[in-house]
Amino acid sequence: MTTANPPAETCRLPEALARPAGASSWTNICAIAGVVIKEMYRRKDFYVLFVLTALITLVMGSVSIFNEQGIVRYLKEICLFLIWGSSLVIVITTTARQIPAERENRTLFPLLAKPVTRHQLILGKFLGCWLASGVALLIFYAFFGMVAGAREHHWPVLNYFQAITLHWFMLGIVCALTLLGSIVFAAPSSNTTITLVVTVGILLLGRHLNKVALRLSEPGQTVVYIFYYAIPHLEIFDVRDLIVHNWGLISWPIWAAGLAYAAVYAALFLSAACLRFRRQAVN
Amino acid sequence: MTTPLLSLTLLATLAFSLATSLEPWFQGWAGSRAQSSSLVQVALGDSRKLFAKHVFLKADAYFHNGYYPTIYDNSQGYEKAHIAEDMHASSAESEPNFLGKPRDWVDAFSRHFYPTRHRHIGEPDEPGEQEGHQHDEHCAHGDHEPEAGAKGNDQREILPWLRFSAELDPERVETYVVSAYWLRTSMKKVDDAEQFLREGLRANPGNYEILFELGCVYNENRNDPIRARNLWELGLKNWRETEATKPDANVFVYARTLGNLATLEEKQTNYVRALELLGSLKRVSPNQDAIEKWMADLRGRAAP
Repeated sequence: MTTANPPAETCRLPEALARPAGASSWTNICAIAGVVIKEMYRRKDFYVLFVLTALITLVMGSVSIFNEQGIVRYLKEICLFLIWGSSLVIVITTTARQIPAERENRTLFPLLAKPVTRHQLILGKFLGCWLASGVALLIFYAFFGMVAGAREHHWPVLNYFQAITLHWFMLGIVCALTLLGSIVFAAPSSNTTITLVVTVGILLLGRHLNKVALRLSEPGQTVVYIFYYAIPHLEIFDVRDLIVHNWGLISWPIWAAGLAYAAVYAALFLSAACLRFRRQAVN
Repeated sequence: MTTPLLSLTLLATLAFSLATSLEPWFQGWAGSRAQSSSLVQVALGDSRKLFAKHVFLKADAYFHNGYYPTIYDNSQGYEKAHIAEDMHASSAESEPNFLGKPRDWVDAFSRHFYPTRHRHIGEPDEPGEQEGHQHDEHCAHGDHEPEAGAKGNDQREILPWLRFSAELDPERVETYVVSAYWLRTSMKKVDDAEQFLREGLRANPGNYEILFELGCVYNENRNDPIRARNLWELGLKNWRETEATKPDANVFVYARTLGNLATLEEKQTNYVRALELLGSLKRVSPNQDAIEKWMADLRGRAAP
């Protein structure tokens, strides 16, 4: 009868220990992410791309077209195109060099020697790159909002919010994919090139693969269809046409479903990266 | 130390001598772009013409608020840009919903994230409308004619792409004609329309399509029938010289020029000339009965 108490007490002990362990792993992830964010704002990439985007947009905006002052859609389109291009370049180049740089500088060993697991390292790197891209996006979209607002005299804030969040979550997928690439490929340059080609390829063709498949004969049709269903449809998150042409809001449940879709793919790539990195020799 | 220095001096002298001999030849070379004032022409050369149609279609995509088929979609009904078709009152817009029914769940889901309804620029985005709305099923087509003022403000959004298309390919006549039409009708910018047409005429001397549109500017907007008549007469003459013998001649512009000119002559009570023009129009028009009726009416009025 009295034997019921000791097991209850022994059960309490690991629970009490687990909470600080979970908290410490989050602290580790945040610490790694913080370093990545600091690295991003110390590097010149973002500033160069932002200045370039701003410069091209302002120059295009200064062009007089039939003495019409209020023409804005072409400017919005050019600015958004540059923002999309810049954000992809920033995310892919920043993420691709994270793990190889740690290897090259030989900081990976002391990092893993500390109570930081390989999973935490991957998650920390992902979180840092993703948050850094979010900060970059905020600045880019603030500039876009200023340019568009100055011409249109109205701010569709909710539309912009949807566009930014969808764009940011899309970058999350790209970020996770690049991290996976940085573990699979030997050099950051090859990873950058391949990820960029894959990302741009999906953005341009992803929506049309099913139509292409229908025109093919077997087994090509099945192969293309498998690709169509397997790839993350990044083009879904490209709502530039809705913003440029002042279409209405996307329904909020659909918007949330879009974010969930991105979260699933990002988790998938991150899990693959964690699994691969766990089995990989760090030297 | 002396040998490399001497070699460098020798090479620099050779380079300078070569440059002085090549420069006059380059300036006189027909393929030189150095004389061009257009940055696009200097940068891209003649390859820029390849992009002109793409940019022109971009204007058409803007006219549809981004709802436009890609090369992978069924582009039936979009073979000709609607910004050009909308110029002619007879154009009945009956383009189908090129997207069709969603093929799979990815297709259905992704349609929430890009324009999927046929809506012209300047028309309100009706929130109560069904998703995947098909223009030819639900729209009141009579409302799709361009209206000055209400739509004009938004229709200016197509102008940058038309302007850029003309920069890329100055010999693309359609760009000037379409731009001028929208400028003078929706935006009431008659001066800009005329200036742009004259720019087109400088790039395409004597072009009958541009002369026709320029005649419309003088007749409809400047209320100057004499100049309009001169321009249309010149257009007719040029059409006969350049197009008449071609198997795929642009009869449409010829017929419109004849029709407009006949109307002008009728208003000016020059019935004999009007009858001559209608005689020519009858030969190319598919609507010969109506023209014959018009001619009979004119003969009645011309008789003393």
